Amino acid sequence: MFSVGAKGKVLFQPKWQSNLSEYVTQVAWSPDGLLAASSAAGEVVLWQDGSLVDLLPAGLASVDCLAFSADGKFLAAGGQDSKVRVWEILSNHLVEDRANLIVSLDNGSKWVDKLSWSSTCNQLAFSLGRYVQIWDANTKTVMTTLPFSNSSVLDLAWQPDGKNIAIAGDGGVKLWSTGDWDDDPYLIEMPSASIVTAWSGDSKYIASGNLDNTVTVLEYGSHFPWIMRGFPGKISNLTWSQSLANHAPLLAASSMEGVAVWKKETNDQDGWNVRVLTLHNDKVQALGFHPHSLLLASAANDGWLCLWTKAKQVGQILEGASGGFSCLGWSKDGQLLAAGGRDGELIIWSESRRGKGFG
Amino acid sequence: MVATTNNTVPVTVLTGYLGAGKTTLLNRILTHEHGKKVAVIVNEFGEVGIDNQLVIDADEEIFEMNNGCICCTVRGDLIRIIGNLMKRRHQFDHLVIETTGLADPAPVIQTFFVDEDLRDKIALDAVVTVVDAKHIQQHWDAEEAQEQIAFADVILLNKTDLVSPEELDELSSKIHGMNKMAKIYRTQNSELSMDALLGVQAFDLDRALEIDPNFLSEDAHEHDETVKSFAIVESGELDGQKLNNWLSQLLQTKGVDIFRMKGILNIAGEDERFVFQGVHMLLDGKADRPWKEGETRKNELVFIGRNLDEAQLREDFRQCLV
Repeated sequence: MFSVGAKGKVLFQPKWQSNLSEYVTQVAWSPDGLLAASSAAGEVVLWQDGSLVDLLPAGLASVDCLAFSADGKFLAAGGQDSKVRVWEILSNHLVEDRANLIVSLDNGSKWVDKLSWSSTCNQLAFSLGRYVQIWDANTKTVMTTLPFSNSSVLDLAWQPDGKNIAIAGDGGVKLWSTGDWDDDPYLIEMPSASIVTAWSGDSKYIASGNLDNTVTVLEYGSHFPWIMRGFPGKISNLTWSQSLANHAPLLAASSMEGVAVWKKETNDQDGWNVRVLTLHNDKVQALGFHPHSLLLASAANDGWLCLWTKAKQVGQILEGASGGFSCLGWSKDGQLLAAGGRDGELIIWSESRRGKGFG
Repeated sequence: MVATTNNTVPVTVLTGYLGAGKTTLLNRILTHEHGKKVAVIVNEFGEVGIDNQLVIDADEEIFEMNNGCICCTVRGDLIRIIGNLMKRRHQFDHLVIETTGLADPAPVIQTFFVDEDLRDKIALDAVVTVVDAKHIQQHWDAEEAQEQIAFADVILLNKTDLVSPEELDELSSKIHGMNKMAKIYRTQNSELSMDALLGVQAFDLDRALEIDPNFLSEDAHEHDETVKSFAIVESGELDGQKLNNWLSQLLQTKGVDIFRMKGILNIAGEDERFVFQGVHMLLDGKADRPWKEGETRKNELVFIGRNLDEAQLREDFRQCLV
């Protein structure tokens, strides 16, 4: 058995904990330290400095996706009641009065599985069956509807510089240019379905985790992707590290209980080198790099949230969801870590002073 | 496929040609007071009804067809939808997946064999096929119609009021020749007891091998169909290595044509029965209970497929005996 942190270093310590009534589907941090969380019972809650308020009570339909706009002025949530709700977030208020529901878009009978805000403007993309709609918070109108066509949309991701949006599904990832929505998308073709897709923070690389147990990585502008193989199952999660000086960021992916971290060799021809992180003994549900270091968090069904120092060795194991973790999220300053559990646990840890110097 | 436990949700795959009566059956399942919460995934896996709230498109015929690369689309979509549904505890007790009128049910079934997440959460219960007794004659040659019958565990020979008793007997016998494993019920308006539909556990390896003894001993009826089923019954012990080689060779070369197979095997040197089942080239097997004292150790295999060379398969199987 793995002995954890022989020196017993505490990187993060429990700060706050509560419970939602069901499986926590997503957690998201605003730039100024507000936390939002959603549940399979349909709850949406907002946390600030130890206070929790309900934005949506438990209802019939699960809320499956949740995100703050990049400037923190809006919060959007979507789910199985087919609605996309957007709240305006007011500053300088008590948490009770910070969110004001400004719109509720009704989308018939389609579930809204995925949504994401552009990081350069307040445009919201959300999935709707085989389509993605782009909604603009300034005009409060749907600007365009993008037809993915091949299958229902399985994931979507804005390029951080705002130039493209990537939409994943059967047959690969399609990149739509935000400069001209009517232009045909560029297809990163794959033999099976792309389930998850993620851009590196510097907008240079896009990765796709696929149903056929592979990961595809493309340097934006190139037509020749790298393909990583050797996974035991389909790819469940993908995340990029912060940008590194003179080097491509690290890419972490999970498949079943395994986590793999890739580092690109200096020479393109040498490809990417992999390191496998083994410790979990059940499916990894979420992965996330610390925003300002190479500390990698992995949360799994086994009830462990592992913090991997430099994305290499486990530095600490956080617990608190005995039935398994379902999601996680780092605050923008990296000082807080939130995670949700399959039984409704909502937990926040804060950086330990004694743990300074990791990563 | 794992054995059914309390943590897995049974799933019924419902197939049948357009207009055969699937929607009627679906409505029966949903409105029946069976005390179960049933979730239904229909058509293109786009709409899901839970807890008897399903709103069905009025006209079956308007369902969108999409048979292009259905494997990936089906798998990705099924995983997405079921993954979302399963997050919520106690939300439903049974899942029904209705495949489109013309679709081959295999990709749906295979998804539950292949996907590492669904495998542990879902237990395939049965493939239920509704056959229109009157109109089946017109599309008897369509591959989809034959495959839907070949994959079935339960067949509703529906609209029996529209054909004569003689025609019905002939039809039953023809279907039986294609798929001897399926239970055939003659119905009107898709009326059938829920016990015969839900909780059948046809894919449970612990139960699946309840092969009808009559079937095993019965002589093949001669029908001209390319799709047929037959059984191999042999006493004696099998050489594990030879068996392995034969099966992997068989699935590689004939996997496309083998729709379903099941079997109980007596492997030399093993005290337990070995049980297995397959869908196309996917095979799932395990050591089962020990052979009982006084029980005749033997091998029983059932094949359902297209253009299968029965004599050759029998001979090849015999070659695997010690």
